[in-house]
Amino acid sequence: MALAENLFENLRLELRRGCLTLAVLAQLRQERYGYTLRKALAGDGLVIEESTLYPLLRRLETQGLLASEWREEEKRNKRFYRLTPDGEQIFAQLLEEWHAINVSIQQTINTTVNSTH
Amino acid sequence: MDLLDRYLLAIKKHLPFERQGDIVAELRANLEAQLEEKEAALSRPLTQAEAEAWIKQLGSPLQMAAHYRPQQYLIGPAIFPIYRHVLKLALSWATIIYAIGTVVKFIASAEPDGTALLEAILRVPLVVLYTAAWCTLVFAAIEYAVARGCIKLPQVEHFSTLWSPGVLPSIDQQAPGKKPRSFAQAVTEVVFGFFLVDWLLLIPHHPWLLMGPGAVILDISPYQLAPVWWQFYWCIVALNIVQVGWNLESLLGGKWRRPQPLKPIIFKALSVLSCLILLNARDHALLVLKHSALDQAHSGPSIDVINLYVYRSFMIITAIAVLQLAWDLGRMSLNAYRRHAAAMQ
Repeated sequence: MALAENLFENLRLELRRGCLTLAVLAQLRQERYGYTLRKALAGDGLVIEESTLYPLLRRLETQGLLASEWREEEKRNKRFYRLTPDGEQIFAQLLEEWHAINVSIQQTINTTVNSTH
Repeated sequence: MDLLDRYLLAIKKHLPFERQGDIVAELRANLEAQLEEKEAALSRPLTQAEAEAWIKQLGSPLQMAAHYRPQQYLIGPAIFPIYRHVLKLALSWATIIYAIGTVVKFIASAEPDGTALLEAILRVPLVVLYTAAWCTLVFAAIEYAVARGCIKLPQVEHFSTLWSPGVLPSIDQQAPGKKPRSFAQAVTEVVFGFFLVDWLLLIPHHPWLLMGPGAVILDISPYQLAPVWWQFYWCIVALNIVQVGWNLESLLGGKWRRPQPLKPIIFKALSVLSCLILLNARDHALLVLKHSALDQAHSGPSIDVINLYVYRSFMIITAIAVLQLAWDLGRMSLNAYRRHAAAMQ
């Protein structure tokens, strides 16, 4: 049982990994800082741990998909992130790919269900 | 909040030095915002226990900091398939070269010594370990250089364009070990294995089964086999019993179709070790006098000559067996290389 649970957890994490990047890019079409981004994602049903999200932002920035700047808000310095033009382009391509995968998987599931009935 | 400060300080210690300040400042801003919101919802500061539970849920400092570091590998996935392939080749060739070197040294020595050969065989794991360590060290250095952009790896696509399906080996050229054994062949092996063990067990009572008319000659001669032959004999019996057990287990377990390229090599290696028992006989005495007090004067000098020839013969047999073993190992690694190369393409 524990083995099955571990296997499910590993597969679930693998499945989520690519989706998280897409969700973060989608949210950062609008400028946000780390904590508000996390809350926005959680509000959409995508809970991400701090130790995953904040380093992910740094990686996406290093890859040139995000730009950031330190700014004061509510008497506290915060690092705000937003999509760069390159990030917007990649996001559009990833979104298209995501839709195509979604359609294909849905078709596959439908075909399998129809053939088993 | 003291606990948060301590948590951030602990994280800082594990972060890359040049980015410590920036990362900790960002984490502090995010975590303080989160804390403020929690406290606003409760209309009071968090208790020590609540604060500890919250920090615990964030993960250990080491874990948090690790996510900020680039993924680090001793040997990364881009290089690993090449490493594995080179390691296999290096291990095979190191063993072969060492085996050939040992045999040549053994034959060339003025007074070949079985103990020295046994010691050389026992050193094989060390040779394997050193080879693996060096190979790993070299590839770790390559990975380090690639990760830091000092060298660039050729693209995999480049190799793909060089490959053509025409170079695939024909079915006939495939390694014989790959062909599945038939059920009849597996049963025959077990049945003959039993017969062979029975035959071996009968030999002490009926030596003619092994030596034919030679048994009668030995019987009337003043010579007899030295006790060391018993050790050799029981080793061979044990080896054959293990082999029959292995074959029987394969048959009953329904695994007879599975190629077992290692099996003949293991048994060949164990046979070589059995021969070493004879080569280690004290004063190379493989034959002794039945009545040493009576026959010493007449047959003493001749038995030394006979023992020397018998010993030399066994030395040559062992050397040939070691060379065969090295050849089999080389062939097995070559087949493994071909299979791996085909899989990679």
